[in-house]
Amino acid sequence: MKSRSILRMDCSEAAEMCNKAEYKEAGFLEKLKLKFHLFACKKCKKYKQRNSRLSTLLQKASLHTCTNQEKENFRKQMEENSKKDT
Amino acid sequence: MATNHLDPEKWVDRYADYLFNYTIVRVNDREVANDIVSETFLAGLTAIKNFKGEASERTWLVSILKRKIVDHYRRINSNKGKAEVKIEYQAEGTEGEWLEERVADLSDKTAEDTMENRELGIAILECLEQLNEKQATIFKMKTIEGIDTETICNEFNITPSNLWVIIHRARTALAECLQKNWF
Repeated sequence: MKSRSILRMDCSEAAEMCNKAEYKEAGFLEKLKLKFHLFACKKCKKYKQRNSRLSTLLQKASLHTCTNQEKENFRKQMEENSKKDT
Repeated sequence: MATNHLDPEKWVDRYADYLFNYTIVRVNDREVANDIVSETFLAGLTAIKNFKGEASERTWLVSILKRKIVDHYRRINSNKGKAEVKIEYQAEGTEGEWLEERVADLSDKTAEDTMENRELGIAILECLEQLNEKQATIFKMKTIEGIDTETICNEFNITPSNLWVIIHRARTALAECLQKNWF
């Protein structure tokens, strides 16, 4: 009986674990619990598949973002430029 | 029908990542991409009065950006002896190899792949615009920049479970938005 309660997990918890797993931040027990839950819950299994697919896409796109410093530079340049005009 | 208007103060927050990503996949150099995006914003400021409100703000900025990228290529090509291809046959240690063997190996990354990934990147960034700014920023930090949970939590003064809720919402929205073309 006790082992069951250790392994039990509801769907919202499972979703959180799915996400953590995508960022490699789920622990061993968490992953195990998730596996058990996915075995029993079709909906979450589907969510997991979609979520993994999303990770693959994100990786494939290899996105780049500006650093805060770079954004700050853009702002500064825009400001200087509008001062020049007036 | 002038339904769209410009809001230059929000440009950097709203479009910097999009324009930067658009540029860097085409010029492959962070510094150059930064310069081009910056030039685009400045050109946008000067051209404000020409904006007719027909296109969205982003589309309008992208059209300026495209011209800046073309300008960039013109500039580097004029410095470069008009795009001349030089191949030295007698490079060290390669004596006797056929020219055919030196052609870049396209087997693992085809031009179509690169194109598709570019489009995918753009699609993802467009979908991210549907999220509110805080959600989008946190999602990008976590997913694209790979910043760890603790750092983000400290910066935004939220708990890890707040963070995971935000990530969950962002991922669900993103998957839904990409569903039609990419799943």
